[in-house]
Amino acid sequence: MYQYDAIDHQLVAERVAQFRDQTERFLNKELSEQEFLPLRLQNGLYVQRYAPMLRVAIPYGMLSSKQLRTLSDISRRYDRGYGHFSTRQNLQFNWPKLEEVPDILAELAAVEMHAIQTSGNCIRNTTTDQYSGVIADEIVDPRPYCELIRQWSTFHPEYAFLPRKFKIAVNANENSDRAATQVHDIGLHIKKNAAGEIGFKVIVGGGLGRTPMVGVTICEFIPRADLLTYLEAIVRVYNQHGRRDNKYKARIKILVKALGIDEFRLRVEDEWKHIKNNESTVPAAEFERLQSFFTEPSYEALTDNPGALTDKLAESTGFSRWFERNTFPHKKPGYRIVTLTLKKAGQAPGDATADQMDKAADLADKYSFSELRVSHEQNLVLADVRQDQLIELWNDCKEAGFATPTLGLLTDMICCPGGDFCALANAKSIPIAEQIQAEFENLDYLYDIGDLDLNISGCMNACGHHHVGNIGILGVDKKGEEFYQISIGGASGHDASIGKILGPSFAQEEISRVIHKLIDVYIGQRTPEEHFIDTYRRIGITPFKEAVYAKVN
Amino acid sequence: MQKLIKDGSIVENQYSLIQDGDSYTDSNGIIPVDKWLEKPVPTAGVWLNSDQNPNLLKDVDLSQFAVIGVNFPAFVDGRGFTYARLLRERYNFKGELRALGHFIPDQLGYLLRVGFNSFDFASEVNLDSALKLHKTFNIKYQGDVSDPRPIFLKR
Ligand code: HEM
Ligand code: SF4
Repeated sequence: MYQYDAIDHQLVAERVAQFRDQTERFLNKELSEQEFLPLRLQNGLYVQRYAPMLRVAIPYGMLSSKQLRTLSDISRRYDRGYGHFSTRQNLQFNWPKLEEVPDILAELAAVEMHAIQTSGNCIRNTTTDQYSGVIADEIVDPRPYCELIRQWSTFHPEYAFLPRKFKIAVNANENSDRAATQVHDIGLHIKKNAAGEIGFKVIVGGGLGRTPMVGVTICEFIPRADLLTYLEAIVRVYNQHGRRDNKYKARIKILVKALGIDEFRLRVEDEWKHIKNNESTVPAAEFERLQSFFTEPSYEALTDNPGALTDKLAESTGFSRWFERNTFPHKKPGYRIVTLTLKKAGQAPGDATADQMDKAADLADKYSFSELRVSHEQNLVLADVRQDQLIELWNDCKEAGFATPTLGLLTDMICCPGGDFCALANAKSIPIAEQIQAEFENLDYLYDIGDLDLNISGCMNACGHHHVGNIGILGVDKKGEEFYQISIGGASGHDASIGKILGPSFAQEEISRVIHKLIDVYIGQRTPEEHFIDTYRRIGITPFKEAVYAKVN
Repeated sequence: MQKLIKDGSIVENQYSLIQDGDSYTDSNGIIPVDKWLEKPVPTAGVWLNSDQNPNLLKDVDLSQFAVIGVNFPAFVDGRGFTYARLLRERYNFKGELRALGHFIPDQLGYLLRVGFNSFDFASEVNLDSALKLHKTFNIKYQGDVSDPRPIFLKR
């Protein structure tokens, strides 16, 4: 994991002091509400429906058990004993007191954490695949590159007041894209060229919200040394030409669309030619230095499929289900990647109580070199578990509520906080998640349905990524009443697409019936190999529409 | 005239800011850039609005100006940060680079780093309090106008 040196410590300490001063001046009325707003936002502090919300960065999802214990401790002492893991590898506290936030930040700083740029119109926390560094099929470990981008974007003096927030995600895996890079302002795909050199395919102008778009490729291969100057060029063009008159049209996706990718690319290249090869060109030694923070833990020489695993798999369906769904092949023999699901029925997706955080930290200490990851799907990951210890880990997970064996299935949904917490919501989303979890509790049925992303947002801002759910649910307001619009056919991986709206929206109590109908159409039409999304792509929206809106008589 | 912060001290303002529509023949004036381009009279300097990119001045010898102003119509309009860098780094402007308009004291750290050295605050800003914020962080991860080396060349 990345370790701060004296320089990083000092930077974060200076930020804490600065924010303490800003908060005091706001409380003394020396700073107006309007002036304090972007200052607090740049430090992850929203003012929400019931209380402020503080968003803590978990850079590229890496967390030590010590850091997680600090988060749980903070949630107990300053909040209500829980936190919410978000889709952007952040943790949100829903009930901190404004006057205590500087103290919270100081406690975070002590364990090398912060809330810098987790909100506001600046470059946000860079996200990546939660299985980075351990998954068998990645091209290289993306984390050193994420750390490079983190440092470049932290307090970048030119880009603290962009037209709009700016999100970068990195992927280094050709078979899967767990970071949804194509729906980010910039998506970076790490590649190797024919000479074996590392570089990036650069995708620009993706995003969700009011005008959802899949990004377009601006450049097929930028050598890694040029990464920062090329990013500079893109963000600089955006800062100068992005619209500022309308917040919904201020994102880079609107600029790229308005200019067309060719004109946008010309402008970026024109900018780049002035700064290419300047001091920000990254020397190989820096990549080596960053890489050295992400060296392998002390793995033991083991072999795959030890008896302790295979015997248990044969004996216990519960265990083998969990193994099949919630664990992944590791690049090292004898190890496995394990996802701890935070999707237990009755618990808001992504929520973790302080006790659960402590428990997860204990599990990381016991089974996984004291490290964890946070995933885009709002789960936690133990990246380095010995296969012969999986059975023991599974038993521990069951106790803690982390063993719901449904990763990637219908009930492993992404869900925003919605009307229960969020001031912007048009409708609640957590009760919808609960309704669906209750309806689809039969595991055999869920397994039969297979891989399916279901995403729920409480409003057009799309925090729950509903547009890229294979099934997406969006809360809408109709004359003061809460309704839900359903879309199908979205996807967030390498095959990213924006879902299509099925038709008129539904009342809350109808949702699980509607989802059932959609699933029935899929099951009736699928070929043996097809996932929901494939069947949809083959047969189109009409059969789904007909089934859902058919008159009952 | 309202005082300003320049090079870290509170000083008298030596120039008059000429707004659109004013007469722009004052040789001590900072003139709207489009007016000056129409009629390049001798002057202390020009100022850019947030939709006026410094490349308007790419064919102009900037050494004739003692000062260039960049206006912030609202403090959240961050175009001026890029303009300042371009004026310093691309167009090599060495004179006084003055922030004008509705920027706020809490932005001083960033403004200094992109090359501003003078700050003509909105009239309601208390300059003594603002002066306390006239400093950048000690650590800078990226290169900037005062030092183009990013952190990896300094560790
Ligand atoms: C409860 C407080 C929250 C507030 C006030 C809030 C507010 C917003 C707003 C205003 C946007 C719109 C941005 C746009 O127009 O592009 C947005 C987008 C987003 N939010 Fe939230 N949000 C909250 C919680 C969350 C949570 C809990 C998550 C994760 C589970 C989240 C993840 C996202 C994501 C991923 C987007 C991106 C959409 C895109 O790619 O354009 N937010 N949020
Ligand atoms: S999608 Fe809307 S309701 Fe949900 S968290 Fe985002 S802003 Fe709030």
